[in-house]
Amino acid sequence: MEAYLAAIATVALIYVLLSLGLTLHYGLTGLINFGHVGFFCIGAYAAAILSTKTGLPVAAGFVAAAALAGLAAWPIGLVSLRLRDDYFAIVTLGFSETVRLVVTSERWLTNGVQGIPGIPRLFDGLGVGMASAIALLALLLAVNAAAVALFLRLARSPFGRMIEAIRDNEEAVRALGKDPARFKIRVLVIGAAVAGVAGAFYAHYIGYVVPDQFVPLITFYVWMAIIMGGVGRISGAVVGTVLLMLFLEGSRFLRDALPFISAVDMASVRIGAVGLALILFTIYRPQGLMGDYTRR
Amino acid sequence: MTLAVADLAIAFGGFRAVDGVSLAVPSGGLVGIIGPNGAGKSTLFSLVSGFLAPDSGTVTLDGANITRAPAHERARRGMVRTFQVPREFAHLTVRENLMAAAPGQAGETLRGLFLRPGCVRAEERAVAEAAAETMAFLRLDAVADLPAGRLSGGQRKLLELGRALMARPRLILLDEPFAGVNPVLVEALSGHIRALNARGIGFLIIEHDLPALTRLVSTLHVMDRGRIIASGEPQAVLADARVREAYLGAVG
Repeated sequence: MEAYLAAIATVALIYVLLSLGLTLHYGLTGLINFGHVGFFCIGAYAAAILSTKTGLPVAAGFVAAAALAGLAAWPIGLVSLRLRDDYFAIVTLGFSETVRLVVTSERWLTNGVQGIPGIPRLFDGLGVGMASAIALLALLLAVNAAAVALFLRLARSPFGRMIEAIRDNEEAVRALGKDPARFKIRVLVIGAAVAGVAGAFYAHYIGYVVPDQFVPLITFYVWMAIIMGGVGRISGAVVGTVLLMLFLEGSRFLRDALPFISAVDMASVRIGAVGLALILFTIYRPQGLMGDYTRR
Repeated sequence: MTLAVADLAIAFGGFRAVDGVSLAVPSGGLVGIIGPNGAGKSTLFSLVSGFLAPDSGTVTLDGANITRAPAHERARRGMVRTFQVPREFAHLTVRENLMAAAPGQAGETLRGLFLRPGCVRAEERAVAEAAAETMAFLRLDAVADLPAGRLSGGQRKLLELGRALMARPRLILLDEPFAGVNPVLVEALSGHIRALNARGIGFLIIEHDLPALTRLVSTLHVMDRGRIIASGEPQAVLADARVREAYLGAVG
C-alpha cells in the first residue's frame, strides 16, 4: 500500500509541473495550448537518450530536457504572435502530434515504437525499496516547491500583470506601447521548460519511454486538472492535479464495486469518470475549486 | 510632438474607407474630426496608430516616417490611442489597469524581476503613486480596487483615458471620448483634456458630440465617405454648406 501511495504521489507531482506550466500559458496569458504533451515528450526523450546513450550524468539529462523543451517553444511563440485563440490551439495540437510522430519515425535516435528501455531510476543507489521512492518524492517535492515559488513570483509581478493584461485585451496592450510578443514567447518557453523537466522525471521514474505515452490525452488530463482546480490560479494547478489523480486512481477501485466490468473496459470507465467530474464542475463550480481569475 | 498624415488611403475590397486623407496635428494642438457614421474616422485612427496598414500615403511623427512601424512602437514614441469601445483589462483592477500602462518597467522583464528585485520594488511604488494621481485626477479612486470589467460605461471611458495618460504620451488620439458619458462628466472630461493640453499634450479627437467638441478644439476636420470635406476653425467649418449637407443634414 505504501508503495502504491508513493507511486501515485510521484505521478501526481510530475503532473503538477505540467499543470503549472499550462496555468502560466492559458490561465495567466490566455494562450490556448493544446500541445503541452509535446514539451513533456521532448523532455522525456532528451533525458532518456542522454542517460542511456551517453555517459553524461543524469543531471545533464534534466538540463537538456528543460533546454530542448524550452527551445521547441520558441517557434511556437513566434507562431502565437500571428494566430489567435482557436488557430493557436490547433497549431499546438499539431505540434505535439508532430513531436510524437518524429520520435516514432526517427528510429536511429529514439528506437521508434519499441522505445528506449533501461533508463536508470533516480536514487537507485538506495536500493529498490521505499528508501529510493521517498528520496525521489523528496526531490520532486523540492522541484515542485521551487516551481511554485517561481510561478508565484512571476504572477505577482509587473510581468504577471502584463501577461494577464495580454489575456484580457492584447490590442490594448499594443496601444499602450508594449509588445505582446516579448511576453508570450517568454511565457511559452518557461512553461515548456518546466514541462520538459516533468518529462525527464517521468522517463527516469517509469524506466522506459515509448511514443504511445505522449498522446494528446495527457494534454487534456492537464487541462482537466487546471479547470477543476481553477484556471489562472497557481494553487488551482496544484489542487486540481491532486483532484485529477484522485479521480483517475480512485476509479480503479470501482472494479471492486462493479465486478462485471472487464479490466480493458475499466480504462474507458476511468476516463468517463473524469469526464463526468468535469461536466459536473462546469455546471456547479465553473470557477474551479480555488476560484479562477474571473472571481477576485 | 507633431503628427502629419499625407494622402492616407485604404480600401476594403472595393470600398474606399479612407480615401486620400491629409491632416496635421501641431505640437500641443487640439484637433477634432467629425463626420457621419461610416465616414472612415475610426479607420483613419487605426491607420495612424498602426493597427491597420495603409494602401498608400504616409504617417509622420516629429519628422520620422512611421507609416510601417508596428502599433506598440508608435505608442512608445509618445502617440497613444484610445478605442471607441473601451478595451479595459477586465479582470485586472482599475489600479492594475493603470499600473500596467506605465512605460519601461524593469519588473516587466525577467532579468529585472530576478536580478534587480530592489529596483523593481522602488519602481512599483513610483508607478502605484502615478496611478493614484491619475485616479484622483479622473475621480476613479472610489473604484480603484474593483475589477475593471465591473465599471459603468462612463467609468470605462475615463479608465481608457487614464491608461493612455499613464503611458506618458505627448499626443493622444481619442476615439469618441464622450460617447455614453453623462453630460456632467462630459464637462469634467473636457476640463481634463484642456488641463492636459495646457501641459503640452496634443490631442486628435473623433467625436459625435458637436457642441462639446467645437468648444474644445481649435481646428476641426469634417470627414465624409473617406475624405476630408472641410477643415478650419470650428465655427467657420460648421457654417459651411457642404458640411451641413453631409453631416448635420444626415443627423437632423
